[in-house]
Amino acid sequence: MSRHNLLLRVPMFVVFLAVASPAAAHRVDEYLQATRIAVGMDRIDVEVDLTPGMTMASDVARRVDTNGDGRVSGAEAERYGREILESLSLTLDGRRVPIVFVAVHVPELADMTLGTGTIKLRAAAGISAPGSGHHQLDYANMHRSESSVFLVNALVPADARIQITNQRRDTAQHRLTLEYTVTAHVGWTVFLIMGLATVGVLGTSRLPRPSTPS
Amino acid sequence: METRVRAALVGLATILSVAAVSLQRASPPPARAAAVPSGTTAKVVAAAGAFLGTLNDAERSKATFSFTSTQRTGWSNLPSGIFQRNGLRMGDLTPQQRGAAMALVAAALSREGYEKVTNIMNGDEVLKNAGGGRTGGRPGPPPAGAGGRGGRGGGGLTFGQDEYYIALLGAPSMTSPWMIQFGGHHLAINVTGVGPTSVLTPSLPAAQPASYTLNGQTIRPLGDENDKGFALINALNADQQKQAILSYQVRDLVLGPGADGKTIQPEGILASALDASQQTLLLDIVHEWVGILNDEAAARKMDEVKANLPRTYFAWSGATKNGGLAYYRIQGPTLVIEYAPQQGDIDHIHTIYRDPTNDYGARLVTP
Repeated sequence: MSRHNLLLRVPMFVVFLAVASPAAAHRVDEYLQATRIAVGMDRIDVEVDLTPGMTMASDVARRVDTNGDGRVSGAEAERYGREILESLSLTLDGRRVPIVFVAVHVPELADMTLGTGTIKLRAAAGISAPGSGHHQLDYANMHRSESSVFLVNALVPADARIQITNQRRDTAQHRLTLEYTVTAHVGWTVFLIMGLATVGVLGTSRLPRPSTPS
Repeated sequence: METRVRAALVGLATILSVAAVSLQRASPPPARAAAVPSGTTAKVVAAAGAFLGTLNDAERSKATFSFTSTQRTGWSNLPSGIFQRNGLRMGDLTPQQRGAAMALVAAALSREGYEKVTNIMNGDEVLKNAGGGRTGGRPGPPPAGAGGRGGRGGGGLTFGQDEYYIALLGAPSMTSPWMIQFGGHHLAINVTGVGPTSVLTPSLPAAQPASYTLNGQTIRPLGDENDKGFALINALNADQQKQAILSYQVRDLVLGPGADGKTIQPEGILASALDASQQTLLLDIVHEWVGILNDEAAARKMDEVKANLPRTYFAWSGATKNGGLAYYRIQGPTLVIEYAPQQGDIDHIHTIYRDPTNDYGARLVTP
């Protein structure tokens, strides 16, 4: 694993454990795959929550629990997580960006058989800080697309310099295109206004004193 | 005189600097200042005390948690048998205790809100008697070793009015923060109270079946949410619909249970692009969720929603003829509402009501 990949992995894993939570719904015959994408200046985080419906849970469980012992080891969970990642793609300004595995949580197999167990996959892509101006991010998830229901959403960027200006999806939400702009550091605006204010104060302090009658 | 001018300029510079810093990021609205506890607060606190008074020590211990407990986020729309709720189960209470528990829920909510809650619970009783819904799983015996009712794992889905739980987080108080958590299958009510005010976010009212008959009356627990949504989308002109209607299917809640703290990029038509009558329709929809809470707190929240209306979006996906399958979302700076039929079944509706700035009363309890 490269050093850069390791840097992506460690902090995310801690956060991921803190937010693990129950599934939203008990699904029957659909594989729900809900993706949330967070665009940052130097990384793009991809969260995918996958909830297999009851009728397909045994098939998913077989793919995860490869040795069939009824338990999901860390290695098995990671292998399945990486298998899913192979079906995801991310492109920034026309260039493919590798998505790096960060962490995965696989629920108890019994929960999956009830259509309530959610596999939580966390991944990220390191990017070099894009310059000011317009950018386009394309995401696609083709994992088991024949039997899946997809949701994909962008989170409001945590960095105020990034503004999402447009979103496009295909009908089934396999694909999301995000258009966004990056503006110059807002801090410059702050410094500019503070500077102008300071200059104004200093300038006033040097105004000639009114003469005092003696 | 010169000193005054200089002081004024320094003050102006300070103000400009502060204003500039504040431009960096829109901050959430400030918490409302705690005032004299209202009549509603006193009523709710008294109802909580009355409920706790019906419990023995063991029951009280089971029903109460610290305000900062992880129990706060431990809610779900799932039925017993596949989600283990904490707190006291309605089916385990005596009639007196159960009555006191429901009286507490009634005190915290509006009349319409309480009716919605009971309609959802009655609907789950109907679901139980019908043997489970097409998209809701099938009931069955509790799984071996599940540890009693509501155990986790196995195939023992359990429905019905007995399968709702109540928990209190923090001590009921006129001044300090505390919380009432009431929920079961298709229902999660989280009321956080701080002094004179309370918040309902996040909460999840849902329904399956979406329509049933009880004592000769047709009950649609979320019927108004459905009908008012369709009324608004049909009140929009073609250009407005083009902005509001998403070009893709939305088959589930985006910000359901477990999605705390997430704010998605809004979509749809801005309320500022609606005319006054359309805005009224939108606010009427919003009130279906906001108005679950007691009238005093709901009125305050509606004031906030109205103030943020120009920055509130309405998005729609699906059929525009009432009776069809459709999803909608209303999203503003302090509001997210989603209405989502489940798995292509209009008889199975999930909804969510959130405030990204104030879920679990975060804005009220943050120092």
